[in-house]
Amino acid sequence: MAAVAERSTKERLFSVLDDLEVLSRELIEMLALSRSQKLPQPGEDVQILELLVQRDREFQDLMEVARQQGKVHQEMQLLEKEVEKRDSDIQQLQKQLKEAEHVLATAVYQAKEKLKSIDKARKGSISSEEIIKYAHRISASNAVCAPLNWVPGDPRRPYPTDLEMRSGTLGHMANLPTNGVNGHLPGDALAAGRLPDVLTPHYPWQSSDISVGMLPPHHSNDFGLEPPGHNKENEDDVEAMSTDSSSSSSDSD
Amino acid sequence: METDEQARNRFQAELEFVQCLANPNYLNFLAQRGFLRERPFINYLKYLLYWKEPDYAKFLKYPHCLHMLELLQYEHFRKELVNAQCAKFIDEQQLLHWQHYSRKRTRLQQALAEQQQQQALPHGNAVSK
Repeated sequence: MAAVAERSTKERLFSVLDDLEVLSRELIEMLALSRSQKLPQPGEDVQILELLVQRDREFQDLMEVARQQGKVHQEMQLLEKEVEKRDSDIQQLQKQLKEAEHVLATAVYQAKEKLKSIDKARKGSISSEEIIKYAHRISASNAVCAPLNWVPGDPRRPYPTDLEMRSGTLGHMANLPTNGVNGHLPGDALAAGRLPDVLTPHYPWQSSDISVGMLPPHHSNDFGLEPPGHNKENEDDVEAMSTDSSSSSSDSD
Repeated sequence: METDEQARNRFQAELEFVQCLANPNYLNFLAQRGFLRERPFINYLKYLLYWKEPDYAKFLKYPHCLHMLELLQYEHFRKELVNAQCAKFIDEQQLLHWQHYSRKRTRLQQALAEQQQQQALPHGNAVSK
């Protein structure tokens, strides 16, 4: 474009200076010659003078242009500095914004975690009275803490003993005598447990009085198939486990 | 569909059975007769996990059974129970744990008694002088 093809002010100034130099040299030569001989070309000195003046005028103009360009250049520098300042301000704000965003994100995350744990705690909340009652129950019967006078040889245990197991519902279910029901333990179990006829011990671990309204979860199907589809309960297996006699639960009704 | 009466009986039976699982000797008994290898029984043990919920757990007198029930969900544990030594080891550890609180209490009482003795002695000397 035109702007690129134009010579810069510096070049033009230099070229004008060169011209001036050439012209003034010629003038001086002419003046030097004119001392010794007459001018070969009469109008040449005037020509050269005119050219000199012209060049000088050009020079002055170019200097003016250069001065103005200098002013413009200064303004440009000032503006550039302003721009730099604004840039750094923006970067600072950017950094602060990023930090703030980070802090807020952390705060939000932690708040969410807290809410989650509050929900969880609320879900699992049980009245303190119930917990204390339960604690009393399991401690009073020495189920979780040994009695203070326990020595090896003491039959008490933190789990139901053979005796307790046999005298429970399961024991009754499995031990039903084939010759009729009378609510007593059959003979062999009696002998094994060394209990008198009249005693039908009822241990608190069976808790039939407390659990009057309580029903177990439904599962009307067989356990033979893979879970989660719990299928019809295989009650025969359950009853056979407590002892090795086999009778189905339907007899117990 | 089972009646309410049947359901209540089933509740009773399952309550007792799950607590029996706290007895390591019983577990050994079950293992040696191969019950712990049968798929229906394993499924039944998984079903019994409902006793962990607070609504049901409050009826348990022997809470150790819940820990045993959780362990029984693992095949490795079920296999190990066939050994009598394994059952004996579990029994011993269970008893030791059971005695933990009473031991701690006796220690505390002893410490308290010693402390009181020490406090009593200087007073006694001061008075006698």
